[in-house]
Amino acid sequence: MELIELYIQEVTRRLPEKNRDDIALELQSTIEDMLCKDYTEQDVKEVLKKLGDPVTLASGYRDRPMHLIGPRYYDVYISLLKMILPISAVLSLISLIGDGTFVDLGEKTVIEVIFIIIGKGIVGIFGTAIQVFFWLTLLFAVLERTDTSKDHRPLTKGFKRWTPDDLKQISNISAKKAITKVEIFGGLLGIGIFAALYFNASSLLGVYESSKDGLTFVTPTFNQEVLNAYWLLIFCIIILGVCLAIYKLLAGQWTLKLAWLHTFYQLFTTIAFIIIISNPHLLTDDFLAYMTKIFSIGEWKDSIYWGLILLVIFFAAFDAYQGFRKAKIR
Amino acid sequence: MSTLLNSLTTELRRGTLTLAVLSQLKIPQYGYSLVQRLEKSGISIDQSTLYPLLRRLEKQELVTSSWDTSESRARKYYSLSVYGEEIFTQLKQEWEKTSQELYILLKGEGEDGAD
Repeated sequence: MELIELYIQEVTRRLPEKNRDDIALELQSTIEDMLCKDYTEQDVKEVLKKLGDPVTLASGYRDRPMHLIGPRYYDVYISLLKMILPISAVLSLISLIGDGTFVDLGEKTVIEVIFIIIGKGIVGIFGTAIQVFFWLTLLFAVLERTDTSKDHRPLTKGFKRWTPDDLKQISNISAKKAITKVEIFGGLLGIGIFAALYFNASSLLGVYESSKDGLTFVTPTFNQEVLNAYWLLIFCIIILGVCLAIYKLLAGQWTLKLAWLHTFYQLFTTIAFIIIISNPHLLTDDFLAYMTKIFSIGEWKDSIYWGLILLVIFFAAFDAYQGFRKAKIR
Repeated sequence: MSTLLNSLTTELRRGTLTLAVLSQLKIPQYGYSLVQRLEKSGISIDQSTLYPLLRRLEKQELVTSSWDTSESRARKYYSLSVYGEEIFTQLKQEWEKTSQELYILLKGEGEDGAD
């Protein structure tokens, strides 16, 4: 008798509360139907063996799937994972560079610094990968369980059902139009290095003089306080840049829309550059004094200023033009 | 080899279970009586498949159920609903058509099409 109760309990505790009593009662009566009048424990065991594993029985009663991510979502899940994992790995590397790794390096040799960076990089990438994997899997597991539609056909990347038109998108990407992954990750890495240099400028960028113990840092070029005052602007540039890179990765090829977005981004960064470079306190007094001593810089300071601005505008315009040129290729 | 054959056979029969169960529910049946009836006709169905299947059919409104407490033991009886009868008739026609087509197909192979 006790075995039967335990069995029923094993089944029902896996079921939603509202069905439990009814199913328990039905199981009870079924099991008793299957037993003869004066049954032994052995008979009970036989009958329970026929009913099978309580977990299997319970899962049969439940509408929820016994898998985490089923065929409907599997393909979307895997493609998103493949897409997001490398991006997040690069981003974690970038955040590592900007994380003040350079600040407390102190007296370490170059080899030691390289080992520290590699070690931190591996740990960072591993941690980020686990996070991404966990949250994405959780998201899809929830989707799988909350999807009430009767449609069980697999979904494509855009969370839509496959149509023959999807084929056109694949074949359309010619090598000339395509945005390579190297380009995107190179861009992201560039943003990361820029951020690291920008926010650690006072300890990294400046005048180095060669002396007996190698290079010594004489004076920083930039006023860190002035640079830090523009943090919001720089954050906007970094975030927009990362978003644009992810959008490029998803699009896979140059389109007119992407070319416009790219142009606006170039425009934005150029304006930001001009604003920052126009700040009269950007360069440190020490640096100015040092430079004046060597090059008598005071005379052509204005031409350097305008030259830099023109150079940046030229490169931004060229880059924007390349986007439109590639978008127009058929 | 025989495990492969087993799994293929199970797969082959799985789809017919619903039809087999529906066919027996013109007269109300409780779980175990249904098992016995099916077994008598040579159809073996895992009990752990049958009971959840009955509930699913009820949820799909193909069968209705009621508890009978008049006997020594309370039993839940399942029987075809009007909608269930309709679906059963159509499903039966579909099955007859399929088995006929398959019979012709297999006969063409020079094989014994039975079973």
